[in-house]
Parts: sequence; C-alpha cells; structure tokens
Amino acid sequence: MENTVVSYFFQFDCVKDFLARMSESLGFNVIPLFVVAVFLLAILVVIGGLALVGGAGTLAERKISADMQLRYGPNRVGPYGLLQFLADGVKMFLKEDVIPTDADKFLYLVAPVLCIVGVFGTFAVIPFSDGFAITDLNVGVFYLFGISSLVGVGVFLGGYASNSKWSLLGGLRGASQIVSYEIPVTLSALSIVLLAGGLSFGTIIGAQSNLLEQYSWGHGLPWNWFIFHNPFTIVGFFIFFIGALAEANRAPFDLPEAESELVSGYHTEYSGMRYAFFALAEYIEIFVVCGTAVALFLGGYNVPFKIGGDGIVGQLLQAGVFIGKTFAMYYVVIWVRWTLPRLRVDQLMTLCWKYLTPISLFNLIGCAVWMYLFNGKSFLQLFF
Amino acid sequence: MFGTILFICSAIFTICGAVMVAVSKNVIHASIYLLISLIGVAGLYLTLGADFVAVTQLVVYVGGVVILMLFAIMLTGGADLKVVSRYGFTKDPGMGSLKTYVIGGLTSLFMAIVTGKLIYNAVINTTTENQLNMENSVEQTVSKIGTLLVTKHVLAFEISSILLLGALVGAAIIARPVKLGDE
Repeated sequence: MENTVVSYFFQFDCVKDFLARMSESLGFNVIPLFVVAVFLLAILVVIGGLALVGGAGTLAERKISADMQLRYGPNRVGPYGLLQFLADGVKMFLKEDVIPTDADKFLYLVAPVLCIVGVFGTFAVIPFSDGFAITDLNVGVFYLFGISSLVGVGVFLGGYASNSKWSLLGGLRGASQIVSYEIPVTLSALSIVLLAGGLSFGTIIGAQSNLLEQYSWGHGLPWNWFIFHNPFTIVGFFIFFIGALAEANRAPFDLPEAESELVSGYHTEYSGMRYAFFALAEYIEIFVVCGTAVALFLGGYNVPFKIGGDGIVGQLLQAGVFIGKTFAMYYVVIWVRWTLPRLRVDQLMTLCWKYLTPISLFNLIGCAVWMYLFNGKSFLQLFF
Repeated sequence: MFGTILFICSAIFTICGAVMVAVSKNVIHASIYLLISLIGVAGLYLTLGADFVAVTQLVVYVGGVVILMLFAIMLTGGADLKVVSRYGFTKDPGMGSLKTYVIGGLTSLFMAIVTGKLIYNAVINTTTENQLNMENSVEQTVSKIGTLLVTKHVLAFEISSILLLGALVGAAIIARPVKLGDE
C-alpha cells in the first residue's frame, strides 16, 4: 500500500532474513503476524505518547499562564509541580461519574467517545519522521480533516445531551464554529497541496526539503519551507493558524466553553473521566493542529543540513525536529490564550465569513496563478 | 484475509446503523445511527480500494451533512404531535395517507427487486474474477479522479457547481435578516 511504519522495516535485509528464518522454523508464514504486531506497537506508542502530551499540555498551560501572570503555578506535586497532571488524572478517575436525570443518556455517553475517537483517528497520518508515521496515506491531509470533524459532532451532542441551557448554547456555538472555520483552514491547506502536488504528508514534507539544487547543503533550512514559498503562503499560514485555533476551541475563540458566560459550555454537566475525555481531546487536538501546521508550512521533519542521515539516528532527529517545532507552536497557542480577550459570537462569524474565507479563496487562486506564471518556483528560486 | 475482516465489519456497521435509523423513534438518535452507517459506508469504499471516495465520504457526510441535520433538527424544534380533531378529541396522527403508502410500497418493491437481483448475481457468479480482489486493488486514485473531473466529466462537474452555487445564494436570501423598512 502506501508508506507505512511496516514498509519502513521491510527495507532492511536483516528484518526480511529474520522473518524468513522464523517462518521456516515455526512452519507458517509469520509476515502477517509481524505486520499486525508492528502496527499495534506503533499505535500503542503514538497513543500513549500523545495521551501523555495531552496531560502534559494541561500542566504546560497552567505553568505558562502562571509565568505570564507573575505567579508560581502548581508547584506542590513532584519537582516544580511536574507530576501535577498525574495527580489530576488520578482525581478524575476517582470522581463520581454523574449523569443528570433528564439527560439523554445514550447521547450523553456517546459524545465524549466521539470527541476522543475523532482526535485519536488523526494520529494515523501524523508524520513524525519519514519512517515513523503510522501510515502515510496518499490522501493524508484530506483524511485528517475528515476524521477530525467527528470532534464537532461530539461537542454538539455533548451540549445537547446534557439538557442544560449552558451546555446547549456551548454545543451550538461549538458546532457552528467548527463547521465555519473548516472552510478557511481547508482552503489554505489546499493551496499547499497545490504547490506540493500531492495530498500525502510524505509528498508535502518532501517538497520542502531542498529547493536550491545547486546548494545542496541547504537541506531543511527555513527558506525551503512552504511558508516562505511565495507571498500567498505567508498569509495562508496565518489564516490556517487562526482557523486551527478556532477549530480546536482555543482562546480567543473559546466561545463553546466561555467560562464567564456559559459556566463551562458544552461540558458543564460532565464530571470524572467523561470530563477528562473532553479535556484530553482538546489538548491533544491542539498538538494535532500544531503538527499539521508544522507539516504543511514549517518544513515538517526535515532536519537542517541532513544531520544524522537516513539511519536510526536520523529518524530520531527527524522526530525530535518535528516534535520540537510542534511544541514551539503549542507554546504560541497557550501564549495567545493568556494574552488576547475572547471574541463575541457575531465577531467570530464575521471574522470567518467576511474576512478569512474570502482571503483564503484569493490565496488559493493566487497560489495557482503563481504556479502558472513562475512554473512552480519559489520566491527564492527566482533569484538564485 | 485482513481486508475481508475489515470489509465484513464495515458491512455490519452499515447495515446495523441503517436498521437502527429506521427503528429508532428519537430523531437525534436516528441521526447518530445514520452517522455510524455512513462511517460504515466509508469503510466499505476503503476496503474496495477507493481511498479518495472513502475520505470524501467522511468529510462530506460526517463533517457536513450529519452536523447540518442535527442543526436543522434542533433549530426547527419538535412538533407537538397531539392533534385535536374538530369534535374536540385529541388523537395521535397516523403515519401517512393512502398516497404515501402506495408510493412507499412501490419504492420498496423497486428496491427489493434491485437488491434481489444483485444478491442473485453475487450468489450465481462465484467465479474468481467476481470476488473481492483486494491485493492489487490499491492504487492511486486521486490524480485519476482529478484528471477525469476536468476532462471527460467537466460538464457534470460544472452543472453540480452551479447547483451548489444556487443553493448557496438561496440560503443567503432565506437567512438574510428582514429589515423593518421592507414590506
């Protein structure tokens, strides 16, 4: 099929030898078993790792906000309060799971699951390095937008099923916001797809590795990134980022859970582990949208100067570069939250439909015209 | 083998979701079962090698249509189903009239014939070429679909885009706030 984590292993002869010998000695073909085992292991690593990121995200949020407001933040559990999120997790497990009497019980139970499934489903295509993405689907970007729209359904149903005014308002706001901001986000991602000539993350990141062929040392340096490809992509990046903030329900677009007006929005009535599902989905979704922005616009996993080569060290460095860039974006998201005030509902819709959508449409056409006029060359390639 | 298991799972998803949509009395629950059914259809496309169509199914139906249906249900509100007849009795409305029963009966008869034919063909022709061939069915479909859309099927493409544009304009006109000066 496409490039997967399994096909990465199959390029080594020692793995093939080992499998052949195992098949011989055990008397049956072990390759399917190996494939399933590698996939399960990879999924375990990614889901475990990113669930940890979601937990650590809550801690990072509290620490960074404390830093910005000249406070200490959580500092009781573990050194510098680092174990705070584990304590929170244990607290969530031990809490009573309350279901309101008048709630629609079936939907109340389904909503957090839809949220978490929508977010976990995106892990399948997140490109950590050129060997380690669970699968590099050839419709990867499209798949990511498709599966993450389940989160919108989850938010909406959570608001509806709780049978509370605040939840309902939060859910309605959440769903309308996610549906609206999907358009500029998808359009600006589409302009990148246009430049790269493919929907898979492998193609898109590969196109950002080295633009100037005569200067091969410049592999993976910032001027190869799509954000600096032409004037339209710079604008596109900011539209993507703003829209992604809105899709992940983050401030200044956190209207679905606006705590000063809606108590806590669509998850007002939730408690215990179900609440934790919503919170975890939100924090992991930030990681996912930041990772997508990094892969589309900021060069993805390309290591500067190709340090480490293609071996295991190179793979680890690539994953490090990708995760490092994503965490830098994560910091910006938290920074924005604690700096900017929240928008009003009508301002939110005005921003999306009257500004971001027309600009992103213009951007898409602009990118197409640029591709046609300059034969797909970047701004830099025109001069060197 | 693995593909077959996935195919059967998707088929079960699709059929169970569809049955639950028909059986369920709560319309919001029905739309959630519809969501399950549509995800199952996406799975069917995927196992048959149409990756682009599968993902489009996810984007359009899960992300768009189901959310819009939920919105429509919520914003129109539940109707008060108790009807008072002119003699003062409250009565539950029937499920339909003679006209709807005739149309529904004919439609289901037609559907039954088509499905029956399909199943009959599938049972009769169990040669190897008609079976699911999943080993070499996986190939790049995106570029092929793109090329065909703007060459061979460009007329259908343009007509559907005009249809969508009309829907967009209509929605904008309906949703436009009525000013006091109008009318």
